[in-house]
Amino acid sequence: MKIILKMLMTVNSRCSKPLLPLLLTVCLTVLPLMGFAQRTAWSLPQYNETVRSGSVAFGKSFARDTYLSASSYSGWALGFENDRWTGNKPDKLFKYGRGHSSLFFSSMTNRLKGGSTLQLSGSDHAAFLWPAVNCSMCDLLIGPVAMMELGLLYNQQNSNNPVTVEGYLGAGLCVDNTFRFSLFRYDMALQATLYMPLAGIGFAPDYDQPYWYMYKYSEYGKALHFIWPLNNTAVMQQVALILPMRGDRLKIGYTFDYTGNSLGGHSRNVGSSLFTIGFVKRFQAKEWDK
Amino acid sequence: MSRRYFLHIACVVAASFLMLFPVSCVRNEKVKENEFANTPYGNFMALWTIMDERYCFFDLKKEKLGVDWNEVRDRYAASISDNISDRALFELLCKMIGELRDGHVNLTSSYDYGRNWSWKTDYPANYSRDLRDKYLGKNYIIGGNGYYHRILDDNIGYLVVESFESFISSGRINVMFNNMALCNGLIIDIRDNGGGDLRAAEFLASHFTEKTLTVSYYCYKSGPGHNDFSELYSNDLSPAREDLRWIKPVVLLTNRGCFSSANDFAFTMKALDNVTLLGDTTGGGGGLPMSSELPNGWVVRFSSAPTFDADTCHVEFGVAPDIRIDMKQEDMLSGRDTYIEEARKFINDKLVNP
Repeated sequence: MKIILKMLMTVNSRCSKPLLPLLLTVCLTVLPLMGFAQRTAWSLPQYNETVRSGSVAFGKSFARDTYLSASSYSGWALGFENDRWTGNKPDKLFKYGRGHSSLFFSSMTNRLKGGSTLQLSGSDHAAFLWPAVNCSMCDLLIGPVAMMELGLLYNQQNSNNPVTVEGYLGAGLCVDNTFRFSLFRYDMALQATLYMPLAGIGFAPDYDQPYWYMYKYSEYGKALHFIWPLNNTAVMQQVALILPMRGDRLKIGYTFDYTGNSLGGHSRNVGSSLFTIGFVKRFQAKEWDK
Repeated sequence: MSRRYFLHIACVVAASFLMLFPVSCVRNEKVKENEFANTPYGNFMALWTIMDERYCFFDLKKEKLGVDWNEVRDRYAASISDNISDRALFELLCKMIGELRDGHVNLTSSYDYGRNWSWKTDYPANYSRDLRDKYLGKNYIIGGNGYYHRILDDNIGYLVVESFESFISSGRINVMFNNMALCNGLIIDIRDNGGGDLRAAEFLASHFTEKTLTVSYYCYKSGPGHNDFSELYSNDLSPAREDLRWIKPVVLLTNRGCFSSANDFAFTMKALDNVTLLGDTTGGGGGLPMSSELPNGWVVRFSSAPTFDADTCHVEFGVAPDIRIDMKQEDMLSGRDTYIEEARKFINDKLVNP
């Protein structure tokens, strides 16, 4: 129990207001046992169907890249997220497609407010999912994911090396978990998604390699590194509550995105802790195969 | 409830915890705060360590100046106490990094810019701005921010480049060379040019060569060890193909105030056949600088990527001129700039004896 509690707490460790994600996390594990199973709040897309959600994201971000600065920076972040679920042919192994893309901007200061760093960050994930558990109250989908994350950090203190780029292109694991339940006669769904790269290519300068030299001599080879969880720990976790709202669905959630690596002799800890609010829409896709 | 239902629930709960697990790992293993505390000693050690792992000229400074960085740490650490004031700590840290006598090594706080400019101040200035202005006259042409030119009485062009902070455009170079097309030679005065953008210096230099040639080499720190460097990369200077190029004699005036990009400009031009360096050794600054921060927010700048001339020799301590002269007091008193006069004489002699 102690370990479980620690896990529940640590998920909130980087969150500005830990109450909501903590509540969502508890709900995530407790609600399936309550047995208020409903099917109407959320259902996975059928073949040729797409479910999309667009959300505005706001919260906190943090960054520490020793190539730029030995100090930790943190500040507010604002952006948007787009999630999608698609239904594949029923005879396929991976019956569902899952995608996520995001773009956000953040402005951060160091602990003493003496310096500032700007960040522009984007990501795109595409997963193929197999329904491991598919019952009246929950869908647990697991499958491989292709992930791309790219971020630009601009440290306004540095006159000579103000900018660094960080990112990776990798393949990993995606777990998508949805619980349907009813509360006060309202159908709702609680979703949790995890993306985690397991191998790929990461970009980071070769120690103090100046970007100017990299560009001038086209010497990018040394800035590309093989990544795996021991040198590049990255995770993106989404928890969202889907509520009915007239004909649509309102989505309120929390997204934790983190990349920590030690590539090229420098260490980086970059992440964000965002609350999201948006809508979920269901579309009938064109039948491409016709 | 069926057994299968409970199995499903068990799978889902297990998956939920599995999904939370990586975040726990992340926090424990990767997210670390500053390794050094925001205390006088923490800031001192942070500065020493940043320099120790990232400064690129330790071996050179040990050889030429006798600087032993470990000995420097021990010597200055003895002066650090918990109750030392911020200003006293700043002065002490500036003094410590000042031992490296590198113009690219600075410590910046809200109240001062720590530096050691002895590479310039310990030597004769060999420059008078008043005299330079006298030679420029009142009707000189401003070709760009910090680029001034005119034609001297003996039909020799005189170009002053105050700084490489900004570029001069191709169009303006063409206009300038057209203005001076009939001149017998060109004097480029970069005295007290403290540098700026390396690309601006290379761009200007590319207008003085007709062929591509290797003018310098670079490498960068590839690890925290004092001798961890990448391989050398050659830097080629190619002629500015679209623009006019100057192939007549050029005399480049240098003094100790030529630093960083101006130092690069000096050794780049020195590699060209039609260019003669006249004056004093340049101030140096042969390392591309980078910056980092201390726990208390002070910013430290340091040389990170060394530059070498065409003979793969360090240029951190400056570029020696082809003709070494000093400003003469009697010339200055009579309103004459020894450097400019010698350069004019050199070009005029070259006309007689090419």
